[in-house]
Amino acid sequence: MKMSQIKKKPIKSSTMKHEKKNEDEGPYELTGEIQRDLQLFKKEIGHNSDVHFREFNIGLTSIRAVLIYVDGLSDKELIDKHIMKSLMQDFTDAKGDGRHEAKEKFTVDYIKSHILSLGEISAASNIKDTVPQILKGSAVLLLDGAFEMLILGIANGKTRNIEEPVSEQAVRGPREGFTENLSDNTALLRRNGGTEKLIFSKFIVGKRSNKDLIVAYIEDIANPAIVEEVKSRIQQIDIDNVMESGYVEQLIEDNFMSPFPQAQNTERPDRVNAALMEGRVAILLDGTPFALLVPVTFSMMLQASEDYYERWISGSLIRLLRFVAIFISLFGPALYISFVSFHQGLIPTKLAMSIIGTRDGVPFPSIIEALIMEVAIEILREAGLRLPKPIGPAIGIVGALIIGEAAVSAGIVSPIMVIVVAVTAISSFAIPEYSLGISLRYLRFVCMFFAAVFGLYGVILFFLFISSHLVKLKSFGVPYISLAVPYRLSDWKDFIVRFPLKVLKERPSMLHPKDPTRKG
Amino acid sequence: MKMTQKVLIFILAVISLSGCWSSKEIEELGLIIGTAIDLDNEGEFEDRQSGIDNGNVFKLTNQLITAETANNATNGGQSQVRAYKNITETGEAVLPALRNMILRIDKRAFGEHAKVIIIGEELARGYNLEQVLDFFRREQEMRSSTLIVIAKGSASKTLESAEPTVIPAIQLVEMIQGKERSTKILTPMPIAKMEGQLNSGNSFLIQTVSTENNDRKLTGAAMIDGNTKTLRAFLNDTETEGVTWIKGKGKGGLVRSYDEEDSQPIVYESLSMKSKIKPSVQGDSISFTVKIETEGRIGEHWDISGKAFDSKYMKKAEKATEKEIERLVKNVLEKTQEEYKMDVLGFGRSLQISHPQVWKKVKNNWDETFSDIPVEFSINVSIKEMGTSR
Repeated sequence: MKMSQIKKKPIKSSTMKHEKKNEDEGPYELTGEIQRDLQLFKKEIGHNSDVHFREFNIGLTSIRAVLIYVDGLSDKELIDKHIMKSLMQDFTDAKGDGRHEAKEKFTVDYIKSHILSLGEISAASNIKDTVPQILKGSAVLLLDGAFEMLILGIANGKTRNIEEPVSEQAVRGPREGFTENLSDNTALLRRNGGTEKLIFSKFIVGKRSNKDLIVAYIEDIANPAIVEEVKSRIQQIDIDNVMESGYVEQLIEDNFMSPFPQAQNTERPDRVNAALMEGRVAILLDGTPFALLVPVTFSMMLQASEDYYERWISGSLIRLLRFVAIFISLFGPALYISFVSFHQGLIPTKLAMSIIGTRDGVPFPSIIEALIMEVAIEILREAGLRLPKPIGPAIGIVGALIIGEAAVSAGIVSPIMVIVVAVTAISSFAIPEYSLGISLRYLRFVCMFFAAVFGLYGVILFFLFISSHLVKLKSFGVPYISLAVPYRLSDWKDFIVRFPLKVLKERPSMLHPKDPTRKG
Repeated sequence: MKMTQKVLIFILAVISLSGCWSSKEIEELGLIIGTAIDLDNEGEFEDRQSGIDNGNVFKLTNQLITAETANNATNGGQSQVRAYKNITETGEAVLPALRNMILRIDKRAFGEHAKVIIIGEELARGYNLEQVLDFFRREQEMRSSTLIVIAKGSASKTLESAEPTVIPAIQLVEMIQGKERSTKILTPMPIAKMEGQLNSGNSFLIQTVSTENNDRKLTGAAMIDGNTKTLRAFLNDTETEGVTWIKGKGKGGLVRSYDEEDSQPIVYESLSMKSKIKPSVQGDSISFTVKIETEGRIGEHWDISGKAFDSKYMKKAEKATEKEIERLVKNVLEKTQEEYKMDVLGFGRSLQISHPQVWKKVKNNWDETFSDIPVEFSINVSIKEMGTSR
């Protein structure tokens, strides 16, 4: 009942708006009288101090013109040195046929095709429609007597330079990372994977923000069903503003209750290009350097672009190492707890002897001990993340060295517990996908409780729970743990071991690409 | 939605109601790493009144590692406190003796790390080992890889050490690992294997340990009678060497022989050995051929003339070594066939495998039959190298 009520409301309001717009159409069309039109514009955006209205006369004639732009969003140098200059030069002599005739010749069309040498230029007549473009950095040229105005695409807000991606560093590979500027980002993709089949299709998301969003895919590789699914989910986004691609991710994911991330985010253009070549779809949002890659599987989250840049043996070994890291990160403390408080017989005798020795005098059972240390290290991690750069390392030293050392010598925790917790923490950072690392980190706590209650039996129970959830989970129609389930041996060439590139002839078949072979 | 709620409540209930069921922290345990079982005929026994008196009094010594002792071991061991704790109790069987220990220790005794069970000579001579070891075979907490060793004299003495940091049970087990490099140590006998031997009815050998001044030494083997399942006699070091050669169950080990010309010792070091007992049956008469092959090197040679590196001389050295091995194996065969009339060398087993029909006939009186069966040896020694520098 409630759901239907909510659904009905927006439909009603939108139809009302539509009707209203029809009524108001008249006043928003250009009248040809420059002062009136200017007033209309000023009514719309004139109260903003960053909107500039530059009034002037076209080159020595009596024709009044106004250039409207937003300070900081439009290219001021272009306005000063090119647009204004070419519009204000002496046209009387060049025309040679008197000032009166010049006025008639100076139509919007004439300026567009003879005077302003801009790549991006278009004519429009509705004021209401042009306002959003001004706010995105275009300049508008109003001309006295004309029923159309020119929209000059000279958006050039101050943006960050292309820098090395901060969250995904690589020893080998391009040093370029995405920036907050969407056109820079698409340019990076186009430059590296410049085929004519690379499609960028544009969407506007956010009712109030009107942000640009681009869905990128390679037309003759990507599965059309997946592309359509992505597009339709994006069209269904209904929110006032999307601040970051994380919003998009959360609004289009399959199961928002799942602990696992169902879209991959990356700052690296090379990674996006590689994903596009596999037949996946990238989503780029204006204002964030993080692109989303869908669909994603669990194994893809464990792959880094360097796996492919290094030779296959080292790439494979590093990948194996990552599987070990993921195992430790999820099960490390849980296994320690179950061994120490349930299955002491499974520890090698000499290790058991030294554990007994070190745990002597520790006042807590191992689960409490593990919780204390795990929570402490999570707090440290969070604190280190938010702190100003110069203080960060100091906190690391205080936290890791002093607290750890003091806790051991005070006898609150055993040294082996400190080792377990430290190794686990390091392991969770070895996972290339940061968001997956976070997921595993909180699943680890659940696993620890299972271990504390049932020992190894509980750990296995937990593993079964997670497995049954993963088997059910899908990302845009692709099973989340593809490769393993459903089992496709051909895809295993690029799973735990990364086979030599000469052998990797097929694209991942779980994505059902249009063109299944990479070569040969 | 309701289903998930139910499942959630169920999981929460299971977790909170069960608590940490059956969990016991490791520092609350006392790890039993070695057990010694002796016969106690002097000590007084309070439980005599209990109905189950069968006249036996076992003295059980457990070597425990607890939080306190482990701390001593890990702290460099400068303190004079021992790295282990021996607890001795008596009872009319093994388990009652073990349970009597609860009265003496604050830790929960934990058997999964038991490394070795040492059986005293007197007990092994007088009692059926199947009965003595019954508890260890039943108990879930005991590992079937726990080794069985027979002590010459008192078993509990072997679990005592002069140095406080040395843990006798672990030291003993690690000594048995030295088998790789010596033919004087028998193949280890874990409970799992012991069970098979006891059930087969064959006679077999168990490693023997003796104690002198609180120091353990592996000395030969104990012969267990397949019928009575009790200890019959001991084999000494030399005889144990012969056993290892016949069974081929060794790897390294030395054979000392003498140069015929100048009677200087030649020490042959075996690097690999293989043996095969081949039974042949003709009518009623059974005979065995034992084929022993070994490869190795000259480990030491007290000859200074230099002829030791002549390839002809190598042949001579091989011959001398073969002769010495033959002496070793014949020595032990003689002892088992004639003196004890027991097959502890596995001849019966090989007959059983290759001639099951014949085995069925002779099985019941095998030890007697065996003592008259002729055994031939064919020994082949090949010296592969003569050392590094010369």
